[in-house]
Amino acid sequence: MIQTNTNLKIDQTLVQKTINPELIKTTQDNECDYCEVKVENLNFFYGSIQALFNVTVKVREKGVAALIGPSGCGKSTFLRVLNRMNDLIPGTRLEGKVSIHGENIYAPNTDVVNLRKKVGMVFQHPNPFPKSIFDNIAYGPRIDGLKDKVKLNEIVESSLKGAALWDEVKDRLNEPALALSGGQQQRLCIARALAVKPSILLMDEPTSAIDPLATQRIEDLIRELCSNYTIIIVTHNMQQAARISDHTGFFLQGEMVEWGETSKLFTKPEEQRTEDYITGRFG
Amino acid sequence: MKTEVINRVVLTEKKTSEWRSYELAGFWALRLTLVLVILILGVIVFDIVSKGAGVINWEFLTQPPRVGMTEGGIFPAIVGTFYVTLITIAFAVPLGVGAAIYLNEYAVQGKFTRLVRMSVRNLAGVPSIVFGLFGMAVFVKIFGFGPSLIAAGFTLGLLTLPVTVTASEEALRTVPRAYREGSFALGATRWQVVRTVVLPRAIPGILTGTILGLARAAGETAPILATGAAFFLPHLPDSIRSQFMALPYHLFIMSTQHHAISQVRPIAYGTALVLLALVCLLNLAAVLLRKRYRDKVAKGL
Amino acid sequence: MASITEKAMRVLFVFCGLAIILFLVGILYVLLSNSMPGLMELGFGPFFAADRWNPAAYGEPTYSLINMIYGTLMVTLGALIFAVPIGVAAAAYLAEIASPWERELFKPIVEVLAGVPSVVLGFFGLVVLAPLIARIFNLNSGLNAFNGAILVGIMALPIIITLAEDAITAVPKEYRHASLALGGTRWQTIWKTTIPAAFSGITAAAMLGMGRAIGETMIVLMVTGNMVARPDSFLDSVRTLSAGIAIDIGDVVFNSNHFHALFVAGLLLFLITFIVNLLADILIQRKPEANK
Repeated sequence: MIQTNTNLKIDQTLVQKTINPELIKTTQDNECDYCEVKVENLNFFYGSIQALFNVTVKVREKGVAALIGPSGCGKSTFLRVLNRMNDLIPGTRLEGKVSIHGENIYAPNTDVVNLRKKVGMVFQHPNPFPKSIFDNIAYGPRIDGLKDKVKLNEIVESSLKGAALWDEVKDRLNEPALALSGGQQQRLCIARALAVKPSILLMDEPTSAIDPLATQRIEDLIRELCSNYTIIIVTHNMQQAARISDHTGFFLQGEMVEWGETSKLFTKPEEQRTEDYITGRFG
Repeated sequence: MKTEVINRVVLTEKKTSEWRSYELAGFWALRLTLVLVILILGVIVFDIVSKGAGVINWEFLTQPPRVGMTEGGIFPAIVGTFYVTLITIAFAVPLGVGAAIYLNEYAVQGKFTRLVRMSVRNLAGVPSIVFGLFGMAVFVKIFGFGPSLIAAGFTLGLLTLPVTVTASEEALRTVPRAYREGSFALGATRWQVVRTVVLPRAIPGILTGTILGLARAAGETAPILATGAAFFLPHLPDSIRSQFMALPYHLFIMSTQHHAISQVRPIAYGTALVLLALVCLLNLAAVLLRKRYRDKVAKGL
Repeated sequence: MASITEKAMRVLFVFCGLAIILFLVGILYVLLSNSMPGLMELGFGPFFAADRWNPAAYGEPTYSLINMIYGTLMVTLGALIFAVPIGVAAAAYLAEIASPWERELFKPIVEVLAGVPSVVLGFFGLVVLAPLIARIFNLNSGLNAFNGAILVGIMALPIIITLAEDAITAVPKEYRHASLALGGTRWQTIWKTTIPAAFSGITAAAMLGMGRAIGETMIVLMVTGNMVARPDSFLDSVRTLSAGIAIDIGDVVFNSNHFHALFVAGLLLFLITFIVNLLADILIQRKPEANK
């Protein structure tokens, strides 16, 4: 009982500290000087089924943005809009405008391959290739045409360090990546994405398939990475969103119901539906 | 009332046991069909092995026929079959794998892919002698290859194509989608995804299909009757434009066309055994490869 | 550079897919274009007249395929009478009754049987079955439609067993459970529920076996005696369309009427097997819906 109380206290102080008038203002305006990702009036269709309705959002540079909502609400679809992974599914269609670094990524002359190099992605289930640890990390630079062994070594080392995996695997870079544990595999996938030097990292429920300890390591890693990368993470775990994100968006039935400062969204949501969801009334 | 119930129970029990014996008899009747199939294969294999084994020795496998093909070995036929299947592979594998990659990796599934798949299935059903006619008209005559290794190899390649396409497609389908997605998300182009992630993983399966197709091609006779197989040649083929001797064709002529059929019967048996062993070995290799590959997939490696 | 490779590879793969269609169409085209001159010069009549196949006659050559069509029908029918009951019974046993070890043992045997080259089966028919048939039926020669039917049946067995077993296995468990729950015995369930539910798939298996039987060449070439006279019974020698082509293909004069006549026979074979396979294909495609 006592412990719970202290926790609550800390939470409240945290909340009080973060909610300052200035921040609330920015949130309300939903504006930023330099928007990394800007989505306007996005509608998305799988064939005749509409999955996203009129989504408008602006994501700031750096930091972590979390997308929450019940399963099937469109949050993963939204994530896959941002690196055009949905292109791989036949029969999908999109309306509206999606810009990254001020460029419309659905413009006809967009180089999808380049886009995906700028916007990295980590999947729900760790999916290392059935190759060695080294070859997994070097995969991106190699398909980019890099053959220089020294440079590859540098990239592999820095990427693994960036994903906090270097110390665990530095002596067995030539062993198969699939021999690693689930949590390590997921960090390997993060390192693999870092090796392509993206500015944005999309993460689709990256910890849902791994154990709690490994989850904590990845959450720590996400906090570290967000000083250099813009991270957009889909999670079904509201506590995770509260723990790691700066901004949170709540999706419901393909609609982005609310978007704002994480601390505010979880304590004083503007929408009734958001409050119902985070207090566990449905979902 | 009470007696009636008891009677009914007894009746049912009797009926059940009756049914039970009918059923068992039926099951045994069905089981007999299996025994029959095994017996058929057993008799064929036993006959050929028992009468062919005595003929086979080092000389039989490494010497050309002598004395009007009444003595000597079948070396040129073995070499010819080897050469012609090489050409078959060179023709069927790139095309078959390419078509499978198109169907599974590139194409949007729709009318056109359905048409391609339907063509594959119908090509598989075309009689082998019709392939022979086609090969004679197109490769021998129109392309001007004449009766040759290349004309026969292409004809057999066409016949093998459905096997390679189907097997390759099956192999490609076993590659998890997550690998493709991971690769695409790193900014790989489609061909890079196929080359670096999909193909390495699918190659054992493709190889299995190739060996199965090869086993089929090695045993075919009708398509090579008029496209390059020769009754007898004094020397081995020296180019892809040469005619050749082949094991199945050799068996055919030694059992039906030779002037002293009963005298050369042992040679025919020996040839049949070599051909049967070759085809079985190839099939066995394919089965083992497939099993190893499946175990590996099951282990997630 | 990268995008040029990318485009080139795409074009290459599309071409490979297209090539498959082109080959099938090409086969039809070659058969048509090479049989047309013969059909134009002689008309359809002579090919189906009540006559004999004697295209190399010294006097008036005749081109009737009719006896070969009879021959093909007899061998195919005989093969199916032999192979379909055995194949379906074996498939039913494998799918419904067999213990796992029986299945493990039997599957490779079917695969080996499927792999036996037809020329080897033909050889077996020639040297073992023919003398046996001759003795049993007291004939001069055992090279006849009966011999061909048995061996072509053996050739078609693996394909019928494999596909029929697939069809039976694909029947939803619920059907069986429903039947068993209503007090049906396993035997009743198999014959009254499972097999009827798998009927279209089993028919497709039989038809694909039939397609193979119609086109089979080496077996019939070696064991049916190849007489072009009209057969009266299964113990008569017959020549099938496929064997007829195989016999003449080696020494036919290019672009003669004889040459064109062979392509007419080939075209006939192609069309018959094409239709049979197409029907089987439709049955297989329809199967999941029927099972719903």
